Amino acid sequence: MIKNYFKIALRNLKKNKLYTTINIFGLSIGLAACLLILLYVSSELTYDSFHEKSTNIVRATMEYKASNEVNYAAVTGTKVGPEFSRRIPSVEDYVRTYISSGNIIYKDKSFAENRILFADPSFFNIFSFQLVQGNAANVLDASNKIVLTESMAKKYFGMVNPVNQVINAFGRDFIVSGVCKDVPKNSQIKFDFVTQFLNLNNNVKREQWWSANWITYLLLNDTAEIAKVEQQVNEYMSTDLVRKEARLNEGEYLKYNLEPLLDVHLKSELAGFEPNGSLTYIYVFVIITVLILMIAIANYTNLATAQSTTRSAEIGVRKVMGASKKQVFFQFISEATTITIISTIIALGISVLFIPYFNNITGQSFTRMELLQPIPVFLLLLFSTIVSVLAGLYPALILSNSKVISILKEGFRSTGGNNLLRKSLIVGQFAISVFLIIFTLIIIQQMNYVQSKDLGYDKDHVVVLPIRGNMLNNFSSIKEAFEQVEGVKSVTASYETPEFVNWSDGIHAADENGEHDISVNAMPIDLDFIKTMGMELVAGRDFITTDFALMDTINTDNKEYRQPYLINETLAKRIGWSPDEAIGRTISNRADGPILGVVKDFHFSSLHDPIGPLLFFLNRNFSRNYIVRISGADVKNTLTSLESTWMSRISDKPFDYHFLDQDYDALYESEKRSSLLFSVAAGLSVLLACLGLFGLVAFSIVQRTKEIGIRKVLGANLGNIMLLVSKNFLILVVIAVAIASPFAYWASKNWLQDFTYRIEPQLQIFVIAGLVTVIVTMITISYHSLKAANANPVNALRSE
Amino acid sequence: MNTKLLSLNEATRTVNSGSNKVTLLDDINLQVNEGEFISLMGPSGSGKSTLLNCIGMLDSFTGGGYTFLGEPVHSMKEKNRSKLYKEYIGFVFQAYHLIDELTVWENIETPLLYKSIKSSERKALVADMLDRFNIVGKKDLFPQQLSGGQQQLVGIARALIGKPKLILADEPTGNLNSKQSTEIMELFSQLNKDGVTIIQATHSEQNAAYGSRIINLLDGKIVEE
Repeated sequence: MIKNYFKIALRNLKKNKLYTTINIFGLSIGLAACLLILLYVSSELTYDSFHEKSTNIVRATMEYKASNEVNYAAVTGTKVGPEFSRRIPSVEDYVRTYISSGNIIYKDKSFAENRILFADPSFFNIFSFQLVQGNAANVLDASNKIVLTESMAKKYFGMVNPVNQVINAFGRDFIVSGVCKDVPKNSQIKFDFVTQFLNLNNNVKREQWWSANWITYLLLNDTAEIAKVEQQVNEYMSTDLVRKEARLNEGEYLKYNLEPLLDVHLKSELAGFEPNGSLTYIYVFVIITVLILMIAIANYTNLATAQSTTRSAEIGVRKVMGASKKQVFFQFISEATTITIISTIIALGISVLFIPYFNNITGQSFTRMELLQPIPVFLLLLFSTIVSVLAGLYPALILSNSKVISILKEGFRSTGGNNLLRKSLIVGQFAISVFLIIFTLIIIQQMNYVQSKDLGYDKDHVVVLPIRGNMLNNFSSIKEAFEQVEGVKSVTASYETPEFVNWSDGIHAADENGEHDISVNAMPIDLDFIKTMGMELVAGRDFITTDFALMDTINTDNKEYRQPYLINETLAKRIGWSPDEAIGRTISNRADGPILGVVKDFHFSSLHDPIGPLLFFLNRNFSRNYIVRISGADVKNTLTSLESTWMSRISDKPFDYHFLDQDYDALYESEKRSSLLFSVAAGLSVLLACLGLFGLVAFSIVQRTKEIGIRKVLGANLGNIMLLVSKNFLILVVIAVAIASPFAYWASKNWLQDFTYRIEPQLQIFVIAGLVTVIVTMITISYHSLKAANANPVNALRSE
Repeated sequence: MNTKLLSLNEATRTVNSGSNKVTLLDDINLQVNEGEFISLMGPSGSGKSTLLNCIGMLDSFTGGGYTFLGEPVHSMKEKNRSKLYKEYIGFVFQAYHLIDELTVWENIETPLLYKSIKSSERKALVADMLDRFNIVGKKDLFPQQLSGGQQQLVGIARALIGKPKLILADEPTGNLNSKQSTEIMELFSQLNKDGVTIIQATHSEQNAAYGSRIINLLDGKIVEE
């Protein structure tokens, strides 16, 4: 019987090629999307869960209040781990971690490695990174031991057993004490080498609360006690002894929050070794997939019920010959199943093919092998089963419930309800498409705005060259050398680059209105910064060479030391001064000093945030980057000359430069991904919805062949027939536009809310989206309607 | 040979068409014995097809009594009713109603599938039937590849495969030319001799004459027997 069902199903599919193609195409895409999303979601949801003790591990993060501001950080001082495990009985063990880079050398092989993990000896006991060789208890018990991953073992040692071999890391010899499996992708700690935490430098050997650079994990002996331990920790932190140790003033505090390891990736606000994932992103992904799958399922339902007209005789006959309702029902379900099975196979192929694009959108790095594992394939099959039932259910119900006698007598007539369902499905499909189109257009428009917004400085044609090692010792001579390069307009240096200033600080000012303590972002800069960045001064002047003389460290115990400052407009306003009033006034940050100039406000953070108060202070010693403005006339040549200048002076460090506008673009990485995701989703949904419509129009015209023939004989022209066929469908699409627009408006308003500087969703976007949809619909419909309108009516009428 | 197959007692069939009540069959009294070959005659709209459908239990009378093999059909539940007709009644249609996607063999086999008969037995039964109707050579063809007469032959073979007691044929030759018609009517005649009860609806005097009994219908009433 079942064999028979599938045989019939296959023959029917072969007969209706258009119908089959549309359905298989739609469902394959829907299922492929499902599979990929599944992979992504499951990797995100199982983050770090491979550790046997995962539920007992917490990450200690720091929260402190200083100069009236509460700060949070994922890193802690060196004291947190050892002190808590001594003081609090529930804390069984701790591990402090840090990832660094350095050169690793074995015999003739030498590579720069950037995933070298420094961790306390308990590392392999607390975390379940599997050791292939070596014993978790003692692989890190001496300072000259190092563990490497299997791929590193292969890279450096090939076939040789690495254990007990000696490698040189950052200038010291280490004995390889163990080899562990490569770190899973869904691990927040990713490393290639592990050695003792105390090998980092001499500073970390001293236990201290501050100098927080290290990520500390604690192993608790009871999962349920996290809140209790946190309370004990913070009671301890507020004792006088600790407060004194941490040099906390009145009103300040230092405390620690314990984040369960499994919550770090998706729920924590604080990034650790890597940026965290986002639950919102997962939700958006899942919703989009479901929407696309729904469009495909709606196509199936619509086409199958539309097709029922041509299947009516068959169903009637089957029933007369003894088929029960159940048997007819299952026949139609097996048809849906057949289509789904074929689609599933194609979906698997599509996802294998498109995995690189998917990685691009999600920023993940899935491999094809991961896709073809039993679990994703099994889940895909599960999904297909659900889809085949969902898609087949309604047509199967409708067809199996129809009355035999009425079918045989007058053919199957789709009832009013059926028609209503079909219309609602079309409206639903197009509403989803229109929604996605509008939303995508608005994201793209905002991104354009972000790109073209006047930031208050010129981000184009600026090369950033990182300052490394002892380059600061020759700061001036290197700077002068760069200035000589042809095509270079000016050179300056700073701690951070202006697109994103992170350094937070505070200033003190006093005037006739009283004292002002204001939190600011601060930026140590060199001479020529304002000029090089193309910023504008609204009052006063930029730093000049003679200003260095103010910073007098030679005379009398720094008593004469004066720090020259520039401030931005917002800071002047915050203090209560006009730009001109501010010039020459004294404020204090590292030291007292005069304000020499007021800079016109510029964006030193992403457009998500408003422009805050900013302080520049003249100091070369903090410089981490040379900032070089080039003319842009012959970028390639200028870069080559810069490189040869670099190599002639700093031959031991590679010349790796980046452009400021690229750094700026990187601020909007996640928005760019969103816009890519939505563009793809919108494109797919429109394509699928139109394909479905294409199929439906074909069927509707078959049904109306005779009517069209008669109308033509009676004198209807091409236009009349086109209108006749298109009208009903077009009305549905217009309704869809009307339904989708308010939702899209609301959603995009919400999305834009995240930006302080943003566009307003404009009416034109909605009009464009609506028009595009209507035009695409018209094109879709016109193929069949033109064909029908041009057909010879005699043929249509003769068939009776 | 004179066992009673079915009897209709003041059977009526009415439908509501808008606000009007239309009587399709009016006060029909009819007894059919096993082995009879009945021809229903009458102009279009006289109720021939409706009567056939009601007897075949595809449709039901709205009044009166209907007894089939001693069972009161009028008071049966839908489910039992369809069980009854599936077991005892075969249908032949004017438009053949073969399933286009199935071959001749598969079309004939279909009723057996729904009766859950084993594969080996199905094969034997279908092979017998093909043999009996001389269409073995056509078994792998699809309906569109056959002439009208051949299609109706398959239709009849399919109606017979379940070994029904009664064959209901609604204008079985309506779409056929006269030569094909004669062949089909000869076949019915032969089947009747083999013991199958047949009720056919027809327009043609010539075809009606094959029957052992002719019933004339007009406006839903039996006017002459």
